[in-house]
Amino acid sequence: MPRPVNAVDFWRGFALVTIFINHIPGVFYERFTHRNFSISDSAELFVFLAGWSLRHIVGKPEDPTPTHQLGLRLGGRALSLYAAHMTIVMVAIAMLATSARLFENPLLLEWNNAAAVFNDPVNTHIGLVLLSHQLGYFDILPLYVVLMLLAPLVALVHRLAPNLLVPASLAVYFSALIFKLSVPTWPTDGQWFFNPLCWQAVFVLGFAMSRERGPGGWVKAHIPQIRMVAVPIVIAGALMVWFRWWPDPTRVPEPKLLFIAGKSFVTPIRLIQFLALIAVFSAVFPYIAKTLPRLVDFLSTLGRNSLPVFCAGSILSLGGQIVRFYFRGGIVTDTLLVVAGIILLRATAWLAEWRDRVQRPL
Amino acid sequence: MRWAIVIVLAAAAALPVLAQEPGGPVLAPVPKACETPGTQVISASPLPNVAIALKDRKQINILAIGSTSASLRGPVSGGLYAVVERFLESNFKGLDVNIVYRGVSGELAADAAERIKNEVALTGADLVLWQLGTADALAQVPVADFYATVSETVRWLKNHNVDVILIGLRYARSMVRDAHYQAIRRAIADLAREQGVLTIGRYEAEEVLDKLSREQHDALNEAAVTESSYVCMAEYLARAIASGLFLKETSTTPK
Repeated sequence: MPRPVNAVDFWRGFALVTIFINHIPGVFYERFTHRNFSISDSAELFVFLAGWSLRHIVGKPEDPTPTHQLGLRLGGRALSLYAAHMTIVMVAIAMLATSARLFENPLLLEWNNAAAVFNDPVNTHIGLVLLSHQLGYFDILPLYVVLMLLAPLVALVHRLAPNLLVPASLAVYFSALIFKLSVPTWPTDGQWFFNPLCWQAVFVLGFAMSRERGPGGWVKAHIPQIRMVAVPIVIAGALMVWFRWWPDPTRVPEPKLLFIAGKSFVTPIRLIQFLALIAVFSAVFPYIAKTLPRLVDFLSTLGRNSLPVFCAGSILSLGGQIVRFYFRGGIVTDTLLVVAGIILLRATAWLAEWRDRVQRPL
Repeated sequence: MRWAIVIVLAAAAALPVLAQEPGGPVLAPVPKACETPGTQVISASPLPNVAIALKDRKQINILAIGSTSASLRGPVSGGLYAVVERFLESNFKGLDVNIVYRGVSGELAADAAERIKNEVALTGADLVLWQLGTADALAQVPVADFYATVSETVRWLKNHNVDVILIGLRYARSMVRDAHYQAIRRAIADLAREQGVLTIGRYEAEEVLDKLSREQHDALNEAAVTESSYVCMAEYLARAIASGLFLKETSTTPK
């Protein structure tokens, strides 16, 4: 039996659906996803919940997973993620190539950072395998692979010194912000869209908040007071996005990354707003579960099967981009695309659970 | 009108030396494969902030942004912007050109517009090279929205003493009769004219290159033309920056 519905799976399912929609640029329904009312978006939610879910592998404090098992399981998970990433990247490249041939349009070969694959295949294939070349909209799984490789260290630090984990993570985060540290891409010049030196903080905070020891325990004990602080932050964030009240980045003091809103470095403005958002919306799940049980069941099923659903969503988003290009978008096309895509995400989740059921020994 | 449209790459023969202020370097003509007879590829406009950087610091910081790939095929090492860097540094003795590429492929102008402001602040750019239009056209972004976004961003850059070069969308045979694609193309041209911004007509250049290649080599496919146009793009871009450096804002004489 799959695990019963819960807040983490529900919100992860929510993140997966919004990522699917946001990854079809120009689609009509893009304007309704929460990034239009929030400084942070589904990427933070997805990474935070990945950190939160690490608790299932690490085990309870009174019954911790043995260290060598922990390393093997997390290493295996990183390998699965890597394999999934490579598969969807290859499918995406083939989809772009096929579309370019069918529509006799070489512009499609350049979509989503794929041009280097066709222009400089020797170097770019090395880059794809090393994760130093990433397709646009296919750049979150490489971050996830790195985070999963980092996870045994995260778990061990938490086990040995739970109060040290978050300060250590934030030290790396602020160092990256202050010294503008990032991971370069190759063969094309640039840097990882999701800077792992910064996004690890979201992952670690997700894990730390899920635990009873350390900062997670303190947050759970003080959540009513934290929510009182969080509500005005969430409202202010929505107003900033809605009315574009961004500080002029050229006028903020150095180090500028501490004061501007940027996704690659998940800058403090985004991180603080995201944590406030989590604090506020963690309170509403019981009400949603009571009033909209079918929606909760639907999204929780997606969230329970996040890897296959994420992979399917990535491919479907790209398919959506191609379909929109061919049929010239419009509300009818967009509605059909989004509805069909969400149904297919649900079918993917069903298939994953069905496979688990039939593979399980009786 | 404070600026003039200059036909830089117009000759059927090798590109003539760019008209420029006395003391400027004599630029080599574009390679023969990149000549676009009778077609205006670069609409020239001065780059006053780059000129100040050159004079004061002997260093130019350039931010390259946008949705089109910066990669080049095999023999051209370092990609499109490395070619530009090498060209400028070899033509302006003692000049240090620093190009930072922060392109996100497939990114719409609306998303790039937000990032440009941050990246300008972080890199201290004197010049922004903004490749735009193709992703928006393919994603069917309304022309008015696109125009408003780009216009607001160009104004912001000018107000912050940053020059900008707009690199227009790509040419593809299948897009010649695509009304939306052509409307986005016109929007970039109109905006550049209205705001006095230097533009590179990539579409126009590639269209001519495609036509010439079809006349000369029947078997040459469109992908091969795209390949050569990457190299030409770097050549046009380098010369556009060089020409912008030595044009005066008051210049009115078409060269």
